[in-house]
Amino acid sequence: MEAAKGVLSQLSALEVRAKRRRVTSPSHADALRTRLDALTAQRERLKAEIHTLRDVEKRKMELNNRCPEEEEEAEDTMTGKLLHLMAKQTQLKELLRVHNITGGYNVAKTREGEGVCLTLATGYEGAYLDTYDLELDTRPALKIGRHNVPPFIPLGDLGERAGLQDDVRGFLDALGAHLNAFVGRREQLRLVKELHPSVTVMESNAPCTILVLMLSVPGENKTVLCTLNYTDRTRYLPTEVRFDCEDEKLPESPEWKNNRKLFMEMPVDRALRAMKDTTDQIG
Amino acid sequence: MEDQMRSLLRRLVRRIPSQVLKVTLKKWGRLTAAQQQNIDSTPTKWALTDQLLAISEENGWTVRHVAELEMIYVIDKPNQGMWHTLRLVDPNSDAQTVDLIQFKEQFKSHLSEISRHVSVKMKKNADEAVWIRIAWGDSFSRPNNMKPTYVVHYLQTPYVFVTRLTSKKKPLLYQSLVRATRHRAIKDANLSGQNLSAIRDLLMQHYQQVFPGRYPSPLGERTQITSNPHVDQEQAEEGVKRLQMACEAFGAGKLPQLQSVVYKMETKFKDPKNQRMTQREEPFRCVVTFKSSNILESLRHCAASGIASTPLTPLLSSIPRKGSNYFVVTDNIPRAASQVSQQPN
Repeated sequence: MEAAKGVLSQLSALEVRAKRRRVTSPSHADALRTRLDALTAQRERLKAEIHTLRDVEKRKMELNNRCPEEEEEAEDTMTGKLLHLMAKQTQLKELLRVHNITGGYNVAKTREGEGVCLTLATGYEGAYLDTYDLELDTRPALKIGRHNVPPFIPLGDLGERAGLQDDVRGFLDALGAHLNAFVGRREQLRLVKELHPSVTVMESNAPCTILVLMLSVPGENKTVLCTLNYTDRTRYLPTEVRFDCEDEKLPESPEWKNNRKLFMEMPVDRALRAMKDTTDQIG
Repeated sequence: MEDQMRSLLRRLVRRIPSQVLKVTLKKWGRLTAAQQQNIDSTPTKWALTDQLLAISEENGWTVRHVAELEMIYVIDKPNQGMWHTLRLVDPNSDAQTVDLIQFKEQFKSHLSEISRHVSVKMKKNADEAVWIRIAWGDSFSRPNNMKPTYVVHYLQTPYVFVTRLTSKKKPLLYQSLVRATRHRAIKDANLSGQNLSAIRDLLMQHYQQVFPGRYPSPLGERTQITSNPHVDQEQAEEGVKRLQMACEAFGAGKLPQLQSVVYKMETKFKDPKNQRMTQREEPFRCVVTFKSSNILESLRHCAASGIASTPLTPLLSSIPRKGSNYFVVTDNIPRAASQVSQQPN
């Protein structure tokens, strides 16, 4: 009688289970109740947290949107002040993160997110000089748009070499190096013309990579032609210095070898001043 | 030879106004003090011409001398005649290191190789521009100094400006330029005008460009200053936004004096009311020309005052962006709207 056995065994199993449940039900109910309380408490806590974070976010948006001229509203309550500080902290943390990503360059979004505009500042010897702007189109692919970088800076080359798609920071750093060096060389030329009127500038060119100066040696009535070549455009010091003079032995003399060292190691205007001070060579 | 010198001198004196001529002669410096004084005190042009011819005999001037004088005058007053722009493309690896002496030598040698009897004069101006004057001749005749070609090039930039170049001599000049500047090709840049300084400033960006994201408020202040304090602008913000967009497209402050823009239209006629014209298959060919004493400032004003809708159509904003004032506008077949495409003419 298998069927009856099956039914009977099932019924007895059910009976056993019902007995067990009746026995454990109070503690089970208690456990469930405590669990219910714990979950409710957690829900309240999470709700409060969400509320606070929303408040902080709102204050942060207000901080972001506020013009610098408007005054800050005074916070009355302690919680209000605390929330205000939390908002400021999150704002600053985000700014720092953006600063890290963009590598310290001023970035502005343009054309509804289709492009970014970067500003590169240049400086020389502690003084801020020109700023250059560059627009990059971000969609469909990263491409250089409008810019006011001078035409002799090889923008296209730098973009290809550094891999504009993969390494924007590398490209920007290389461009910054080129621009800073160019501005440095241009400043040196300007200072030479301003501070050393006795030295004649025979030749210079737009990217300031060649400089030919005519120096006269007083007392000996000789002129020396000094050629400075800046083949490495990322440096503001020359890569090659050459002296030409009718007297062929002059460039080989120890003092002119020293002068050559001066030109290779110092900016032009300072090298000229050093020459003037030490030996009163140029007139 | 002497005849050419005299006729060239006569023509030069006729072209140049007396005051300018006297200043140019002084700059040239080939007259003695007494001669210069004589010139300065001569009132009429006719007397001036005779005097100069006499002095030229005295000093033994040749055509080269007078060509020099002409060059000085053209460099001083370049905004006449029609200048066309060329652009060098595909630089070789050593294009960036071409220096002045190298360029001069290479250009002269290449040009004399491919063209007989040319007379070339090169001069570097203080603003790093290299000026070239070419008098063309051929196997049978001497260089014709009455119709010289002038070329201006800024080293290490891809731009070359030419005036008075005949189409026969074009390939010769192009080839010499390409070889001397170590590039692989040269093409027309679709920018021409009478005012050399304007087209040069446009290409070399010698005007104040405006980029987004940097301090938009100064422009806003500027609009407020000019308006009447008794008048309250309802849509002042819109005005500021339009001004910002106009300045971003064209630039701020004084703009290069471009004088005309030409659009060659090859688009289909579009007018829903005119069925007969719109049914035609072929494009409606016409040429639209804008002329003004300063086209860029006028267009900027149009955009800022709302006459031209903002954001600006690429037809207008391409002028400074591409540095061109000749456009061929075609319909792009896959898309319904017409697009700007630039083709060499």
